This record gives sequence, C-alpha cells and structure tokens, in this order.
Amino acid sequence: MKGTTGRIGVVCALLVLVFTTFAWRLIHLQILQYDYFSKLAAQKHLRCQPIPAKRGRILDRNGEELAVNIPVRTVTADGTHIKDPAALAAVAAPFLEMPVEELAGKLSPAVKGKRPYVVIKKEVAEEKAQAMIAAMEKARLRGLYLEEGSVRSYPNGEMLCHVLGFVDHSGHGIDGIEKSFDSELRGQDGFRWIEHDRKGLEIVTYRGQEQLPENGSDIRLTIDMGLQAIVEKEVDAAFRDLHPAGAAAILVDPQTGEILAMANRPNFDPNKFNEAKPEEMRNRIITDMYEPGSVFKIVVASAALNEGIVSDRTRIFCENGLFSYGGKTVKDHHKAGDMSLAEILQYSSNIGSAKMSLMMKDQKYYDYVRAFGFGEKTGIPLQGEISGLVNPPRRWDMLTKTRMAFGQSVSVTPIQMIMAMSSVGNAGKLMKPRLVLSRGEGSTPSETEAPRQIVREETSKFIANALQKVVSKEGTAPLAAIDGFTVAGKTGTAQKVGPHGGYLNDRYIVSFAGFFPAEHPRLTGLVIVDDAKIGAAANYGGLVAAPIFAHIGGRAARYLDIQQENAVAQANASSNQASNR
Amino acid sequence: MKGNRRRATNAIEVDFVARMLVLGFLAGMAALFFVYLKNQQHAVGNKSRLVEQELHEYEARNMALEARITSMTSRGYLQRKLDEGYIHLESVRDTAVARITPPVSAEPDGVLRTASREPGSGVIAGSPQRVLRR
Repeated sequence: MKGTTGRIGVVCALLVLVFTTFAWRLIHLQILQYDYFSKLAAQKHLRCQPIPAKRGRILDRNGEELAVNIPVRTVTADGTHIKDPAALAAVAAPFLEMPVEELAGKLSPAVKGKRPYVVIKKEVAEEKAQAMIAAMEKARLRGLYLEEGSVRSYPNGEMLCHVLGFVDHSGHGIDGIEKSFDSELRGQDGFRWIEHDRKGLEIVTYRGQEQLPENGSDIRLTIDMGLQAIVEKEVDAAFRDLHPAGAAAILVDPQTGEILAMANRPNFDPNKFNEAKPEEMRNRIITDMYEPGSVFKIVVASAALNEGIVSDRTRIFCENGLFSYGGKTVKDHHKAGDMSLAEILQYSSNIGSAKMSLMMKDQKYYDYVRAFGFGEKTGIPLQGEISGLVNPPRRWDMLTKTRMAFGQSVSVTPIQMIMAMSSVGNAGKLMKPRLVLSRGEGSTPSETEAPRQIVREETSKFIANALQKVVSKEGTAPLAAIDGFTVAGKTGTAQKVGPHGGYLNDRYIVSFAGFFPAEHPRLTGLVIVDDAKIGAAANYGGLVAAPIFAHIGGRAARYLDIQQENAVAQANASSNQASNR
Repeated sequence: MKGNRRRATNAIEVDFVARMLVLGFLAGMAALFFVYLKNQQHAVGNKSRLVEQELHEYEARNMALEARITSMTSRGYLQRKLDEGYIHLESVRDTAVARITPPVSAEPDGVLRTASREPGSGVIAGSPQRVLRR
C-alpha cells in the first residue's frame, strides 16, 4: 500500500513538473518575451501602406489647366509567386510594350533568386496596367503586381514653360512655380497600417491606424492663357524670322501688377525637361540683365520733372546732335537745338537726357533710379531672379551719370523695366509683380500689395503724354501704334556688352516698352529682341520690337474686348446728346 | 444485500448533467456563431477591399481620361491641329455677334471676353447703343 502511494506521488510530481514547465514556457512566451514576439509577428504581417497625396494643379486665371497629374503604375514582380516565367512573360509583355525575351530575362533571375520585389517597368499607363492584370487573371497566372504613382503633365507643352517649371522623377518641383510653391502643391502623404495574409492581401478586419492624405493645393496664376497664346505666337515669329540670340515679351496689368503673359525664346518642353539645354531653361525676363538703352530715359525725365528741375516749358539745348562731355562725345540720331522735355522723349535725345541728369544731384538721381525698382529684386515668386546692377554714386566716374540717363552703365532685368513702365501708366505708383492669384480651392484672391508712390500723379501723366508722341509719325516708334488706341511707350536700342567688357560692334539688344490705352491703361507690354540677325541699319527698337508690340497689343485688345477709344468717345458724345435732349 | 448495493452506487444527477449538456451546447453554438461571424466579417472586409480597389481603379481611369481630355483640348494641341488643317477658324464679324452683356470699357475689372472685333472697322463696336438696337 505504501509502495502504491509512493508511485502515485512520483507520477503526480512528474505531472506537476511537466505542467509547471509548460506554464513557465507560456509565461515566458506570453509575458516576458511579449514585446519581442509581437514585434516579430508584426514584421511578418503588419505593413504601413502609404497613401500618396495628389499634387495640386496649376491653373491660369480662368481655370485653364496648365499642369495636371496622370496616374501611372509601376509594375513589380514577386519571384516567389511566379511558377512559369516564360508563360507570364508571353502574357504580360505586349501590355508593357517590351519584347517577350526581355521580360522573361527580367523574371527568370527573380524566380531563381526567389526575390520578392523586382521593378519591371515604371510609368505604365493605367489602362495598360489594368488590361495586363485582367489578362493574367484570365490565364491564371500571378507574380506581377502594380504600384500606384503619377506623372506630371503639361498639356500646353512649351507654352509658359519658364513660368511653370517642372518636377523631377520623384515629384519634387525643380523650377518655376513648381519649385516656388512645391510645399503647397505637394500636400501631405497619408498612411494606413494594414495586416496582410500569406498572399499579401490586406485583412480589412484588422485595419489599423489611418491618416488620410492631404492633397496639394491648386495654384491659380494671374496668367491669362488667351493672352499667353498671343504673346507666344508673336515671340515665336520674331525668333523664327530674326534669328536672335533670345527674345522675350511680357504683358502686365499696370493697375494691379498682375502678370498676364510671359514668354521667352529659346524655350523647352517641360514634359521632356531632360532633353532641354540650360540656355533654353533660362527665364530671361528675371534672370538676365541688360543695358536698357533709351527706355531708361523715362527715369531721368520723371525724376527731373518731379523734382521741379525741369518743367513742361523748359527748353534744353541739345547741341545740334553732338555733345562732348568728359572727353567723350554723345550723339543724337535726331539732330536738334533746343528741345522740350516731351521732345527729348519723343526724339529719344541722348544729349537732352544726359543734360537733365547733370542738372540733378547725384544722390537724388540715384534715389530715383532705386525708387523705380532698379537694383533690387521685384519679389516675383520665381526662382533665380537677379537684382540687376545699379552702382551707387561713390562708384560713378565722370561719365556714369550721363550714360545712365540714356540707359548705359546700368543693368536691369526685363521684369524691372516693365514694372517701371507700368508705374508711368499707373499714376506714378510702382506695383509689385503678381503671378499667383490664389492658392487652394475656395481661397480668396490675395490682396495686391500697397504700391510705392515714386512720382506725383501729374508727373507721370506728363511723361505718359510725352510717351504718346513717341508712338506718333514723328516719334521713334510709329510702328508700335495700335489701330483704335493711343499707345504710350519708349524704344530702346542698346549695344551688347562683350564678355570681356566694352561694347560689341553691330550687336544690339532692342526693346519697346509701352502701355495702352494711354489715358486709362489696361495693358503694359515689353518686347525685347537680343541680337537680331538683320543688319545694324534695321536693328532698332522702333523697327524690330515696336511692331511686335503692336501685333501683340492689337490682338490682346481684341481678345480682352477693350473698347476702342474712338468708340468710347463716340459713345460718350451720343450719351451727352441724349441727356441734353 | 440488495439495499446495500443500491446505497454503494453513485447517483447520477440527471438535472445537473442535462444543465451541463445544455450549457455545453450553448457554449459550442456561441463559439460556432462567433466563428461564423468572424468569417462573415472577413468576407465583408474582403468584399469592401475589392470595392475600394475597384473605386480606386475607376478614379485612376477617370483621372487618366481627364488628363487626356485636357491634353486634347489644350491650346498647344488645338493650335497644332489648326496648323495641320484638321480644324478651321471662322472669323465672326462684329455685326454678326449678338451680345448678351455689353462689353465693359477700360476698367480694372479683370478679364473680359465677349467677342473679338476687327480693328479699325469704324463701327461703335459693342457700344450700349448697338446692344439696345439688338
């Protein structure tokens, strides 16, 4: 009996030992090593699935799409799921637009090496990718999978390329608006923690934490594509016919500073940015500086008039076309004796302008140049803007002041020049250029920044009237006239500066800047043609740039339906008659 | 003796066994129901995943088509088609345009586009009088 009890005791002890061991093991697995094993399990079945945000579109002021996204797929292979690479290649290759052998060549190593992730092809069109999956399902094959993605597309190709810029293959803005507003356009990617089964399919029941993506904001530009198309066509024609090193044109609303059109040549297609040459990618309107030539005379004329140094009745002796100063001779194309301020602008007298500058104190003159916005960035939201070059008086030599008066010894950017010209048409108020109308759906258009009053309203009106005469038969730019409108503007013809200093013979940068209707300007335009291959005798702002301005202005006026001034006058007369009756 | 044997036999408590059986059955049914529900949940989850995927595919296809429409109606594309002669621009004279709203004169009021006009036509194009006559 004692022996039996002893045996039972031993068995019980063994059982207790076994169960204690099991219990300890369970405690070890479930409690002590809980973190380790749960992490291990999570690694096998849990995955953070990214939910990409959609990049915002870029629109023109009327909502026309300028940059959009096209959904594409990246095709990947899982070597562990492929049983017959040759059969899979035969089914999938036509959809991937690649030879069967090439695809089989990519699949076979993945299968042999049991590689679970091999990229087969990127940027496959959505329809083709879906058709491929359907064909695979029909053939009962698996092993090729799709990943989401999108590519940026610019439907208008080269049009407005320098403003829009482009994005790289990872979707980051590299140039233009794409770069300047990259963070707003890009948005914020979302994510979702998912648990997946052996086949890699999500087990929706165990869907974990989720954060929805915040799609990028749409950016609405001030650009009007109707006007842009007009400008592009004219600049294209000039570039084709005149074979210049570069050409640019820009249209601005003088009262708000909104940029309505901006075009440069040479240009590039942002859809194929990797094929573009560096000089094609340069937005010359903001990155290049040039000596403006006679267009700059509006600065000295405005300054002298505003300071009361000259008046509308002042006559300045213009030395009959030859003026020796500081050991150098200044020449005028139109040789004359005394000239009024208006005539100096009308005939583009270098001597008259130089003499006006000499009447002003250096610092005061310099202050006006800076007040017009030269020598500082305008703040346009595009990459690579430069501030131009305006030397302070302490760096001037004897000739600098007189040279600056007719646009030499000073370098400006086209955007600075057009904003300065716009200020003349805007009662002496200098606006900051605006390129973005609103950001994001439903956002209100951003407010125009407070303008800088450079000169008195009367001064700018006087200069605007004088500039109207420039576009008369007696002026230097009759070819800038637009039928039905009075145009105010100024020509510029400047010799090109060589790479080692000094001026290059018979090579010019010609320009015309103006606005219309002169009384109540709706549009300011600037046309620049750099080194046109047409011979020195014809290479003048009034002969080359002015007609382009007129073509652009005429078509733009019709597009915007700006009422012709004779029509306005007749309409006013009729209404007056009616009210008198 | 008979009475002793009866006393030595363990009595089966039928009601207790029956209660246990019922409880066991209920627990078993509850477990099966739980498994059924879990399976249903997985099936519905799978279905919702497929619907989500389908929606996503439709959305992507829609986006692709939208991008295609944008590209085929873009200015650059239309200009190319115009140059190639596939489409043709017909000029419309001002006298043939019925204006719904009178054109606005030079004011800083944004963009206007009611119709194009021939320059220098000499007519009071789109003036209020003309509109009234129509």
